[in-house]
Amino acid sequence: MAELDAGKLVDIADEGRVPPAPPFFKRLMAALSNALYELRKSRTATIGAVMLVLLFGACIATPWIATHDPTKQNYRARLAPPSEQHLLGTDRMGRDIYSRLLHGGRRLVTIAILAVGLSMLVGVPFGVLVGYWGGMADTLGMRLVDGLLAFPGLLLYLLFVTVAQAWKLEGITMDIVLIAALGLAGMPEKARLARGSVLAEKQKEYVEASRAIGDSSVRIALGQVLPNIVSPLIVTATVRLGTVILIVAALSFLGLGTPPPTPDWGADLSAARDYMETHPLMAAFPGLAICYTVLAFNLFGDGLRDILDPRLAER
Amino acid sequence: MLAYILRRIAQLVPVVLVLTVVVFCFVEALPGSIVDTLVGTEGGDIEEARAILRKEYGLDRPIHERYALWLVRVAEFDFGKSLVTRRPISTELLSRIPATIYLAAVGISLSMLIAVPLGTFAAVRRNTGVDYGAQVTSLAGISIPEFWFAILCVLLFSLYLGWLPSSGYVSPFDDFWGSLKFLILPAAAIGFRQAAFTTRLTRSSMLDELSKEYVDTARAMGLPERRVIFRYTLRNAMIPTITISGLQLANLLGGTVVLESIFAWPGIGRAIFEAILQRDYPLIQAGVLVLGIIVVLMNLLVDLTYRLLNPRVKLA
Repeated sequence: MAELDAGKLVDIADEGRVPPAPPFFKRLMAALSNALYELRKSRTATIGAVMLVLLFGACIATPWIATHDPTKQNYRARLAPPSEQHLLGTDRMGRDIYSRLLHGGRRLVTIAILAVGLSMLVGVPFGVLVGYWGGMADTLGMRLVDGLLAFPGLLLYLLFVTVAQAWKLEGITMDIVLIAALGLAGMPEKARLARGSVLAEKQKEYVEASRAIGDSSVRIALGQVLPNIVSPLIVTATVRLGTVILIVAALSFLGLGTPPPTPDWGADLSAARDYMETHPLMAAFPGLAICYTVLAFNLFGDGLRDILDPRLAER
Repeated sequence: MLAYILRRIAQLVPVVLVLTVVVFCFVEALPGSIVDTLVGTEGGDIEEARAILRKEYGLDRPIHERYALWLVRVAEFDFGKSLVTRRPISTELLSRIPATIYLAAVGISLSMLIAVPLGTFAAVRRNTGVDYGAQVTSLAGISIPEFWFAILCVLLFSLYLGWLPSSGYVSPFDDFWGSLKFLILPAAAIGFRQAAFTTRLTRSSMLDELSKEYVDTARAMGLPERRVIFRYTLRNAMIPTITISGLQLANLLGGTVVLESIFAWPGIGRAIFEAILQRDYPLIQAGVLVLGIIVVLMNLLVDLTYRLLNPRVKLA
């Protein structure tokens, strides 16, 4: 008789009762097609999604589709108009604008995603826990949030960037400081939003049931309440990505970002100002790139809000 | 109401404390010490000068004592002297604040002048060309970086057409009409962007109001549509619009750094920006703190106005 192992017996016994879980790939495809179906309900979201796919595609494919080294100077081809060799022309040092746009965008989008990810990672659990615990923790936590929200506009970033520059940070360390500052500044908004949703959600019965079973408050708050309030958080995060890109571009426009020759939309735009009268196209391209990116995130965020909150979509 | 106001003011105390702690830590986080910067330019007996300066700036004390001392001085509006101009920082900042308020207030007024009619019209003529036009314009306004918009304006109106100066400032008290010339471009750049947010908000709160029952009643009574909209719905729909515009104004006081630098506008944002370039750390510290406190107070004011305009909101 062939050997029967215990696992197989259990498999046989289970057959017919519990359908076997579909393989991971199939589940992923199902989830994706479901998401696509939902997405098609909103024209705004569809346009935004297509724009974002193109953007991310360009960011990922940068090393292959960029035609030149973004920092390589070529004094024989300074301020060249768009041509076959330089698709969007060259800047004042003969660097290829098209390649600089691609590399700059890759960097900018990465910074924005990391920064928003950080603010979600810190802000959301903070808001959820504080809201769930209530009482003193809630009061203290929200006062801290109010204090951080009191920094208007760019000021908090200006403080961070000043300290970073004083320590003579450059390149990747400077980017990390920027990400930390943007993440910290985005945190209060996420915390406040998460807390607000938790206050409504924690009255529900399933929370009471979990408490009756004896689950710890951290476990209920993060394991059960949090998954129920993600929709508004996703929408905020998407829109915030656009805002963060505007902020980073504004900082580097002021000359407070990563120093040259790193390709950077804001800094390149600022440098193009001196040639505005003679070469207006040079200032047009980075500006258009920023617009496109921010618009893509805003459209997608708007559409996503309509899909996730049908009450608003009727408007 | 009075009890509510007092409680709200009491709640501000911790907020302002967080603000001061962050701003204080900022200077502490800088490399080296203020003494090095000061001594570096003087020469002479360096060690003695250091000791005197350390004592003068209280650097021989532990950090919490220094914070407390600094807080007391700040409460008296004494921020020390600028490292660059050697003038008292409080005078320096005070002279810069009016220009910023002037720009921000005109910018916000402009934005409301655009946004309220546009948003109302878009809501009333919902799903028509006007509505789509308003939505596309406001989406563009939100997505276009203000500094790029400003540059394009300069390019068109200053360089090509030559109608307006590309940068500069004249105080409206010295020459009102002359100052307008310099004001138009920066104020328009602010107004366009802020109007984008306000238009969306006005549109959606108008739609909210229009779907309420009192509107049906008014229409059933035979009131002309114009009266229904201007007399009843618009008034209610304006509450969130006014609130947001107030918050925008507060935020603009600190957020015009970029535009002030582009247009060489001598406001407080530009003062902070220049201080960063010149490493005038006490001025940065004081500027950020003052702006932060102004914003906190403005937010409170907006909140209280909101309660006054909308008595239905509980004083929770």
